Amino acid sequence: MTATLPGPGTRTTARPRTRHDRQFDRIRAREEAGTFKAPVQGRFFSKFRSNKLAMIGLVVFSVIVLASICAPLLTTHDPQQINLRAMLQPPSADHWFGTDRTGRDVFARVLYGGQVSILVGLGSALMATIIGVLIGIYTAYVGGWVDALAMRISEILMAFPQIILVLMLVAILGQSLSNLVLIFTLTGWGGIYRMARARMLSLREEDYVQALRAFGLAPALIAYKHILPNALGPIMVNTTLSTAAFILQEAGLSFLGLGVPLSTPTWGNILNVAQDLRVLENNWWLWLPVGIVISLFVLSVNLIGDGLRDATDPSQQG
Amino acid sequence: MLTYIIRRLLTLIPMALVISFLVYGGLELTPGDAVSHMIPPEMAGTLPPERLDALRDSLGLNDPFIVRYGIWLSGLLQGNFGYSLTAGVPIRQIVLDRLPATLEMAAAALVFSTLFGLILGTISALTRGTTADHTLTVVGMIGVSIPEFFFGLVAILVFALNLGWLPVGGRMLPGYETFFDRLPHLVMPALVLSIMMTAGVMRYTRSSMLDALSKEFVKTARSKGMPEWRVNLLHGLRVALTPVIVLISFRLPILIGGSVIIEEVFQWPGIGSEFIAAVRSQDYPLVMMIALLSVIAVLLASLIVDILTALIDPRVRLGE
Repeated sequence: MTATLPGPGTRTTARPRTRHDRQFDRIRAREEAGTFKAPVQGRFFSKFRSNKLAMIGLVVFSVIVLASICAPLLTTHDPQQINLRAMLQPPSADHWFGTDRTGRDVFARVLYGGQVSILVGLGSALMATIIGVLIGIYTAYVGGWVDALAMRISEILMAFPQIILVLMLVAILGQSLSNLVLIFTLTGWGGIYRMARARMLSLREEDYVQALRAFGLAPALIAYKHILPNALGPIMVNTTLSTAAFILQEAGLSFLGLGVPLSTPTWGNILNVAQDLRVLENNWWLWLPVGIVISLFVLSVNLIGDGLRDATDPSQQG
Repeated sequence: MLTYIIRRLLTLIPMALVISFLVYGGLELTPGDAVSHMIPPEMAGTLPPERLDALRDSLGLNDPFIVRYGIWLSGLLQGNFGYSLTAGVPIRQIVLDRLPATLEMAAAALVFSTLFGLILGTISALTRGTTADHTLTVVGMIGVSIPEFFFGLVAILVFALNLGWLPVGGRMLPGYETFFDRLPHLVMPALVLSIMMTAGVMRYTRSSMLDALSKEFVKTARSKGMPEWRVNLLHGLRVALTPVIVLISFRLPILIGGSVIIEEVFQWPGIGSEFIAAVRSQDYPLVMMIALLSVIAVLLASLIVDILTALIDPRVRLGE
């Protein structure tokens, strides 16, 4: 094959050689030398990796998640250990973020609190996604009254300002960790459901789906096995962004003292003391570091979500 | 136009009815009823059950659920919202007392966020790809990531406690109740409340504006020799505005929700702080009624915005 093609530089045409000719020559040279490799990774990974902000987000996210998981390795203090001889101490070598009003180490509380806060945020987002996607994909594919009913329910849920609906359910169901995840799931599936449904409605009309239907495949099989994978991109983005939203909501509710019961350390519960103006003015280490950690974490999740959106959005692929 | 409004109302009313039904159902599920709240617990033990039952009968508490709902709903329509369990005063009174403060803050935040969001978004779109654009994008991202109440805490520490420029919280001081006396109290909570919405409006204005500027009529306007600022503002921004207004209406629930926590942080005597107090003391009738009113407010606001967009853009009212 190489013998029949003129090699680099042996071109006989009179056309002036351009940048593209040289580029083509280089590629062919590499091909002949056997060093040419097709990109192994998909466009998704390369697009995501080239997004600087998303990569920064991923690093910050990983650091905070790892630090929370490895809390026992990073600190020797017990987040619940009350020490009345070390009350309200400012940050020191022993207590990196100082101690709170009962002498508990704030750094340890932030680390262990992260476990609960991240679990609540991620867990609720995953559950909301699963429920929203299962309902959305199926009802949109089947259509008819099932679809209309699901749409009405989500419309009703979304007419409530979310925090008011959440607080109302907290008042009815009572405060606990599992109730909070349940409430977040219940109030949060609507958005993902709508998006999954919209994706489904457009994908349903594609030719390949018509072909599958002509083969006589079951609706559920077509919906979940053949259409769902094509809708995963936007769903993933939405899950990421809901995680950020739920973590903000948990922090807000716990700050008010209405989220996770105060006995469990979470990021919001640590911030709870800042409702007191004296603490706000005199003991900055009780609330400022944890507030910054929450902000950084939510920012990193948002950056990842944005990067995912850019990497999966077909309208932006060049 | 009239048919459009009527059609929108026809979809709205059933929804409001279903929500009121759900809220009443939720109220029925909560522990206790009117009788158990009327009679002190130590007396309820000594009273024979028949007397309690006769009392329930006379109050209509033993009627079928749907009858009780009908009575409750007709009372609601006549402005009888029931009574707060902890304060013992009519809920209507509480709402009327607290509503002006909440509306004042939400309106101020809406004005701030629309103004800043539109200006920053337009700048971002017109300078796309430059450092200014990237900076605005990142700042907007940071704006939606910081919890609003944390922002509020930092603002209180810096501007109220350290610098002493603005009051720590509250709506007014007794004796100083004119608009200009109240303004310093309003500035901080309204600005903090508007941050998230500003970021959203900015981001959306940017993409909507970029979309509008790539349209054919913009090229036509340029080729006619129209000055650049006129092209951008009269043609670009005007067309970009409709989707932004729709977005603002979608974000209204977030604004109302956000005001709940911000009111608590700044001790603002509005419906939000009353709602939190009601949730804390498990004052179910008050919790449910405020939730119901907030939904109705959101539905009405979205109706008004729909009518506005239909007025601006004839395609909306003819399209459906």
